[in-house]
Amino acid sequence: MSETKFIVRKAAVLGAGVMGAQIAAHLVDARVPTILFDLPAAQGEKNGIVSRAVAGLKRLQPSPLAGRDSADYIQAANYDEDLGRLAECDLVIEAIAERMDWKTQLYRKVAPHLGARAIFATNTSGLSIGKLAEACPQGLRPRFCGVHFFNPPRYMHLAEIIPCEASSPAVLDALERFLVTTLGKGVIRAKDTPNFVANRVGVFSMLATIANAEKYHVRFDVVDDLTGPRLGRAKSATFRTADVVGLDTFAHVVKTMQDTLPEDPWHGLFRCPPWLTRLIEAGSLGAKTKSGIYLKRGKDLQVLDPAGGGYVAAGAKADGSVTEILAIKDPAQKLARLRASDHSQAQFLWACFRDTFHYIACHLADIAHSARDVDLAMRWGFGWKLGPFEIWQAAGWAQVAGWIEEDIRAGKALAQVPLPAWAREAGRQGVHFPQGSYDAAGNALVGRSTLDVYRRQLWPATVIGEEKAALGETVYENPGVRAFTSGDGLLVASFKTKVHSISPEVLEGLNRAIDLAEERFKGLVIWQTEAPFSVGANLESLRPALAAGDWTTIDRIIALFQTTSQRLRYSQIPTVAATEGYVFGGGCEFALHCDRVVAALESYVGLVEAGVGLLPAGGGCKEFAMRAARQSKGDLLASLKDYYLMIATAKVATSGIEARELGFLGADDVLLFNPYELLYVAKQQALALAEAGYRPPLAGRRFPVAGRAGAASIKGQLINMLEGHFISEYDYEIGARIAEVVTGGDVEPGTEVDEQWILELERRHFLRLLKSPKTQERIAHTLATGKPLRN
Amino acid sequence: MTRQIQDAYIVAATRTPVGKAPRGMLRQVRPDDMLVHVLKSVLAQVPAIEPQLVNDVVVGCAFPEAEQGLNMARIGALLAGLPDTVPGITVNRYCSSGLNAVQIAADRIRLGEAQVVIAGGAESMSMVPMMGNKVALNPQVFAAQENYAIAYGMGITAEKVAGQCKVSREDQDAFALESHRRAVAARASGAFRAEISPIEITLRVPDLQAHEVRHSTRTLADDEGPRADTSPQALAKLQPVFDARGTVTAGNSSQTSDGAAAVMLVSEAILKRYDLTPLARYVTFAVRGVPPALMGIGPKVAVPAALEQAGLKQGQLKWIELNEAFAAQALAVIRDLDLDPSLVNPHGGAIALGHPLGATGAIRTATLVHGMRGRGESGYGMVTMCIGTGMGAAGILEVL
Repeated sequence: MSETKFIVRKAAVLGAGVMGAQIAAHLVDARVPTILFDLPAAQGEKNGIVSRAVAGLKRLQPSPLAGRDSADYIQAANYDEDLGRLAECDLVIEAIAERMDWKTQLYRKVAPHLGARAIFATNTSGLSIGKLAEACPQGLRPRFCGVHFFNPPRYMHLAEIIPCEASSPAVLDALERFLVTTLGKGVIRAKDTPNFVANRVGVFSMLATIANAEKYHVRFDVVDDLTGPRLGRAKSATFRTADVVGLDTFAHVVKTMQDTLPEDPWHGLFRCPPWLTRLIEAGSLGAKTKSGIYLKRGKDLQVLDPAGGGYVAAGAKADGSVTEILAIKDPAQKLARLRASDHSQAQFLWACFRDTFHYIACHLADIAHSARDVDLAMRWGFGWKLGPFEIWQAAGWAQVAGWIEEDIRAGKALAQVPLPAWAREAGRQGVHFPQGSYDAAGNALVGRSTLDVYRRQLWPATVIGEEKAALGETVYENPGVRAFTSGDGLLVASFKTKVHSISPEVLEGLNRAIDLAEERFKGLVIWQTEAPFSVGANLESLRPALAAGDWTTIDRIIALFQTTSQRLRYSQIPTVAATEGYVFGGGCEFALHCDRVVAALESYVGLVEAGVGLLPAGGGCKEFAMRAARQSKGDLLASLKDYYLMIATAKVATSGIEARELGFLGADDVLLFNPYELLYVAKQQALALAEAGYRPPLAGRRFPVAGRAGAASIKGQLINMLEGHFISEYDYEIGARIAEVVTGGDVEPGTEVDEQWILELERRHFLRLLKSPKTQERIAHTLATGKPLRN
Repeated sequence: MTRQIQDAYIVAATRTPVGKAPRGMLRQVRPDDMLVHVLKSVLAQVPAIEPQLVNDVVVGCAFPEAEQGLNMARIGALLAGLPDTVPGITVNRYCSSGLNAVQIAADRIRLGEAQVVIAGGAESMSMVPMMGNKVALNPQVFAAQENYAIAYGMGITAEKVAGQCKVSREDQDAFALESHRRAVAARASGAFRAEISPIEITLRVPDLQAHEVRHSTRTLADDEGPRADTSPQALAKLQPVFDARGTVTAGNSSQTSDGAAAVMLVSEAILKRYDLTPLARYVTFAVRGVPPALMGIGPKVAVPAALEQAGLKQGQLKWIELNEAFAAQALAVIRDLDLDPSLVNPHGGAIALGHPLGATGAIRTATLVHGMRGRGESGYGMVTMCIGTGMGAAGILEVL
């Protein structure tokens, strides 16, 4: 065991371009000290290129950096002076420009300096790993492989590992463990074929979309309207994605396919359309040059009209009859209707599906170890909700295969090559089965990776058709909550509501789960089967009572909210919240009250009630007042101020790391990078607390508050914002009420109160706000539009 | 009118260069150390006066707490080497504190109860922020709407003055530009040399590798604030800071600053006994209140009051140091009182030169005295400013 244990004490990234710098950022966020190398600057400070790249990271949106000062831990280096420092690095990732000659030249330079056990990996999006390996000395080759991150690497889950022939299995396993747990990536082992799996299919899909758009005369903005969220794909859809990726980069990947895939039956498609070449020649490279397929003129968005060659006003929408088809839930019916429709946009969509299905069926054997890898690669690397094989299988394999064959025969498909025999064989139901997923090369079903790191994923990503083991045994279930156990002595509660909002049923269910955990279990974990953790209270469920003016009911619900939070803190068993995605409002309050939070990196935490004209009344204000008192060294208001502002401005921490920096998470709370490991780690934490002889904190603690003078000082700031037209009169009122709650009401500064005192203030001011027509307008507006209203 | 028994004379007036806060060269120089520096300097400029002759040290400071707390005047006097028989008092009326220090010193002498008093001011806005380290407003402020203005930030009051007195953004920016132009010209011509006591700054930087503290010294001889590169375009680009719909920007407001000044005042008897050359004769001082929401118009009432006390006409003033808290209020005052713009801040004002709050009154006293003398002028000059929570102060000197 000790021989195979692989620790990354320090990493190096070679190449401070967009990818290299962002990979370095992700490494330091994961607390891996990282040296970032690039060429020495021709002028000025020698590490100027790297320093500028690191400075640039802070301007990128979405931010590649999760921690406030993470960038400071990226050490700048250059190839002239610092190669000696590579000896300290256990992992070296090369991420320079996609040029075989540059890469091999660099390998010769760095190889002598690499540590004897260091893993050397290239982040190429498509060059041959085998060829690159040839530039490595013999002794290094077992420790060499490809590792392909997707842009932006912090947010895209996928990382492809591509072995060369000499790659040692132990090295690949070690790297996979590191990528999965430390960096939180979803790993696919890809074959060493051009562009590997995700880009091979993803770029093909884009090229097919472009070709079909031309064929069916669909405008680019309409293509984007059709191929975005309506298909379960990213909002940037097709052409905007190309702009974001960079048209030059996109062209480069296409060129790689053109050069390296001469035998591919779709080879004729691997070329840049003339309009794309013209854009690149004109320096319109997409988002980075502020013009590309889309262009912003003043406030107006324009889109390229390939036929005319100029730009036209963007914003054209898909035809209603087509979007109606796309709204159909049943995939079989949806594809059938698209294919049968006379509308060019429907024909276009069917053609895109057909050509992609056709392509993946023909190439499955060469590029991937199983169909599951193709689907997960597209989900994790391109943000598709379902992978292409999954869509096909869900729509009825044989039926769709028949349609594809018909189209091939009719000359409608982009290539005339027939579907492979396995895809056409009689009785085939699909490619994903409970026993495994289809490997076309081996003509067998293959199971999931048995690598130990996946034992940490108790609820892994699965594909349609794959058997997902039932998650534990249900101990309790109501319409709001399912509580289950897996025989490890722990009870896990999951919300069943949409976006895991907190309805009265959730409150009731959670309380029941606490009862049961106290009776029969060692601890309670709150964990959701998918993100988000919770968007907070279900405002919709309050509406009937609100409309009827039934304040007694509303008051009762608030009281139950507060009781639930307090029970999470004071129950006889350790409570652990496992968070990912939105941790808002009441969800945040529950997390704040658990004994421990296990937060995925992408946890977005905030007490956002002020956004709808309310204030946190599930113990959030109380918790912040208490935390401020605990942290205060004399000036209570000083430590309260930041907490106050977070509530008043509905501040959201944009990562688990920031949540800790802002004080939503404490020093004992745990951060992890792979959300699929949440349940495992949360359980470990609950067990550790239980085994350490858990006792809840002693209730009844008193703590000082900032009092009426503290509230006055806060109002002093508010009045200036009001006079300066930065906030509305009603914002002022909300702000003033929040101030009164967190400072403990009309008492002198330093007065000691207890938790119940602040909870009572929360409840009272919450009700006052809720009764206000302005708050009701805000709630109605947010429920209707999803956006906040400033009134 | 006045029942003074003798006149008070300024025999020395000096100041530090004014540093930018919080990132200028004086950011790590303690305000009491700046005070020590100017106290030593002012004593050195009048060698005939033995330190033990000093009857009191009066120092203005707008936020007398933390580094500038604990009665900075007394501590500064002791650290400056004045004998322990010399007392010290720190006084506060926000932005007029330094001028009030001069006034208190002069009045002690005019009453015949002191013969030699050092007045001054010191403020480090790098170390003690505006409003102080701990803001603790009285809840009564919010009990009645008419008291809300007590809580107004200065910027909001400037916006209110701009609105009420119809001072446009363009005029404010043009005024700011002129302030910089004058200050840059004055600095380049060496006009400030007579009033500035250059200050040596010791930097202590740890060498983490060698485990040693590296000391280095630099001398700051000029004000850091004036910008030769300011342009109408650059000023026009700035967003309003205090009011989303407003006109007051960082560019047409005074700068936050660090600085100190000291002024030695003596009686006529001392002048004669030690054969000293007086720089100016102290004439009068007036302070008045205005609505807190419009604090910037304070000089509108203080200036006529001081003139009346002295029996002077406005036209007799040859140099007016009108503190530029904001271009908006400075312009409102200039227009309303019909001041001659060429006589107001001939060497630039706080927009360019900076405004270390409680030190400013003493600093601009030094500027007035040396500025007029530097041009070979004599006669009446004035230092005036608006003051937070709605006040205005004006002091008149006769430069000799």
